[in-house]
Amino acid sequence: MIRAWRSDALVGILPLAALVALWWGIVAAGLAPRALLPSPVAVFGRTLASVADPAFLLHAWATLSRLFAGFLVALVLGVGLGLAGATNRFVGGVLRPVVRILAPVPKIALYPAFVLSLGFGDASKIVLVVADALFPILLATYQGAARVEPKLVWSALAAGTSRRAAVWTVVLPATLPSILTGSRIGLVVACIVVFLAEMITSTDGLGYLLVRAARSFQTVEMFVPLIAISALGLALNGALAALRRRLLAGFPNED
Amino acid sequence: MTAAATRAGAALRPGLPPLLACLGLLACWQALAHLLTTGGMPDAVATFRELPAILGDQEALGDILDSLRRMALGFAIAVALSVPLGLAMGRSRLVASLVNPLLMVSYPVPKAALMPIIMLWLGVGDASKLLVIVLGASLPVIYHAYQGARAVEEKMIWSARAMGMSGASRLLRIVLPAALPEILVGCRTGIVLSLITMVTSEMIARQTGAGNILFNALDMAQYETVYAMILVIGALGIVLDVAFERARAALVGWSDEPDAIGVTAA
Amino acid sequence: MAQAALIDPSHPPEQSTAPRPAAVEIAGVTKTFQRRTGGTHLALAPIDLAVADGEFVSILGPSGCGKSTLLYIVGGFVPPSTGAVTVGGRPVTGPGPDRGPVFQEFALFPWKTVLGNVAYGPRQAGASKADAETKARGLLARVGLSAYETFYPKELSGGMKQRVAIARTLAYDPAILLMDEPFGALDAHTRLKLQNDLLALWERDRKTVLFVTHAVDEAVYLSDRIVVMSRQPGRIKEIVPVDLPRPRHRDELLLDARYQRYVIDIERLIEDPPEEAGA
Ligand SMILES: Nc1ncnc2c1ncn2[C@@H]1O[C@H](COP(=O)(O)OP(=O)(O)OP(=O)(O)O)[C@@H](O)[C@H]1O
Ligand SMILES: [Mg+2]
Repeated sequence: MIRAWRSDALVGILPLAALVALWWGIVAAGLAPRALLPSPVAVFGRTLASVADPAFLLHAWATLSRLFAGFLVALVLGVGLGLAGATNRFVGGVLRPVVRILAPVPKIALYPAFVLSLGFGDASKIVLVVADALFPILLATYQGAARVEPKLVWSALAAGTSRRAAVWTVVLPATLPSILTGSRIGLVVACIVVFLAEMITSTDGLGYLLVRAARSFQTVEMFVPLIAISALGLALNGALAALRRRLLAGFPNED
Repeated sequence: MTAAATRAGAALRPGLPPLLACLGLLACWQALAHLLTTGGMPDAVATFRELPAILGDQEALGDILDSLRRMALGFAIAVALSVPLGLAMGRSRLVASLVNPLLMVSYPVPKAALMPIIMLWLGVGDASKLLVIVLGASLPVIYHAYQGARAVEEKMIWSARAMGMSGASRLLRIVLPAALPEILVGCRTGIVLSLITMVTSEMIARQTGAGNILFNALDMAQYETVYAMILVIGALGIVLDVAFERARAALVGWSDEPDAIGVTAA
Repeated sequence: MAQAALIDPSHPPEQSTAPRPAAVEIAGVTKTFQRRTGGTHLALAPIDLAVADGEFVSILGPSGCGKSTLLYIVGGFVPPSTGAVTVGGRPVTGPGPDRGPVFQEFALFPWKTVLGNVAYGPRQAGASKADAETKARGLLARVGLSAYETFYPKELSGGMKQRVAIARTLAYDPAILLMDEPFGALDAHTRLKLQNDLLALWERDRKTVLFVTHAVDEAVYLSDRIVVMSRQPGRIKEIVPVDLPRPRHRDELLLDARYQRYVIDIERLIEDPPEEAGA
């Protein structure tokens, strides 16, 4: 099992390595002008140098803190609303059509409205992250909670748990797999959208670094924030996967 | 007769609550605009009054239609490329382990953020925007086609093998139909994503299109136009989603779960 | 049929048991389900049944006759369409720790260990964690699972899960046990063992038990009375008092002609060729 996974991971490195090799080959053969496609050595070298650069780390921290703030609000709201909608008929009746309308609205289009009412600072970006990360989490929670085996709830009610308490002691833990799946999507979405918001209006953050580099045509510098956000997303995803393994130890179909 | 009538009624009824929700949301907006007297937020009525001005403007309307054409084309290309790839991943562990890391690495990167680099290579024209839309819409389609193909019952494949079907025709005639419900879930997310990528790429390239109108209006402090464009883009998202859902339900209604709503990612 | 001496249809079942007070009184209970496609489905025709305190009553009947539904109504998980259930003289309005269900599907909490599952009830009743776990350990010892307290349900066999489910319910000490085919999914050997365990437990604690099963021999072995139901709509066809001495021992019973007669007669009662053919 573990060996199979390792060989999978090994095979997985191949295409990434091949891609970088191809890139390097193109540059080395002089097929593309340096101004358009810098060498991978330069790009990864600059990325590594950036990691040690406090100014860069401040930008990364700005992105990360907005991402986390937005994601956490979305998590609390999404789980709360999803559970309420699945366990309360009235809330569910109101929530379902509202979500149906709001979920497919491109949230990025709302960003100007957030900027107009909350200003160009952190608040509008965080609200955008919330608006975007909320729906995957909410929908996953709602669908997971609506599908909880009623007999689990009945078992708790029979043991003397009140209906309200059963939402916390049974429905919430039983919905945890879905919540974590939704969170995973929400986290990726948060990465994407915080970066975009920083590209549109910002004076700091990884998205801003990209725009700044693009304005002065510093191609190498343009790759650095993209690699950084990809690495950030991978790291967050890995952390969430580890959390999932811990939290879902008892659930079937969890490898 | 009565059964048919009930069914028709049931088909119509789900349309009513979202409609009420729409009105409710608009009412909330109206109230909010009057409560927040900062001046940055026009109310719903004023915004609706602005709509004819935008949609009546030949140039603006042309821009928006142009955007939509790009979006549709990008989405179509994305589906055409992603479905075979996803199916192949689902049926071959080698393909899956080759492609998965690439996907993992590209998930957190906003595809529209590649615009500045792609524009260096392909210029500011249609090609760059198209490429970005294809990239943006592909991931969910690949992912769901992959999951759908993976879930196809092994026994169905075995019996197809026993009947002497070749690998390619197994993929086309067994795996594709069996994975179709899941693929369409991916497409539903993909179509909204292509709209999002379209808006975002135009906002970064700032040449033409719906995203360009929206953010230019923001820069020029034309708040009514900002809100009217939000309304237009939001309505596009909803209409695309509903239309797609209708089509999906007609195609694979048999596999339905009640209340299933696609999970949309930016 | 002349040989059906043990089952006397002219004998009104209501008068056939000990004069102990009724623990459960089911009066005129019906259940109608709304079909998704429109229309309704009558799952239970009026059911009247009184179960005495400390009595072991089995419910037998063909699949789909409403046994589970009846049990859920007594448990308060599902409301009856008409009629009422009273437990200890008080009308049932919802679930409560006086009635402990054991579901056929086990319904263990997958996120809790074996110990956590069994300690759940005492915890809800306000016991401290330590006290609840002490109680849970005692029950796990009784069902022979002491070595498995740190396991998750998914790591257990079907029979072990079933024993955990029973221990979880016993842990909050319900006066009435509602058991829905608790041994249905088990292999023959585990099944026999759990039957004996349950009987020993019942003879010790004398809880009131409503026990749904498909197995006639199991019902005769365990019960004071057997309720035989028929389908479409679900209703009580016959109530058979089992007049066999206790404590019962399986090997003695198997040779006992009265036991054999009960099994044969009840099997005949359940046989329901026209309806079963339609199912
Ligand atoms: N939630 C429900 N909605 C609609 N009909 C239901 C529902 N639950 C049960 N029924 C119907 O009620 C009838 C009785 O079901 P029930 O599960 O009580 O039968 P049962 O006697 O326990 O069967 P089995 O022995 O197979 O477990 C069945 O005909 C079933 O179709
Ligand atoms: Mg049943």
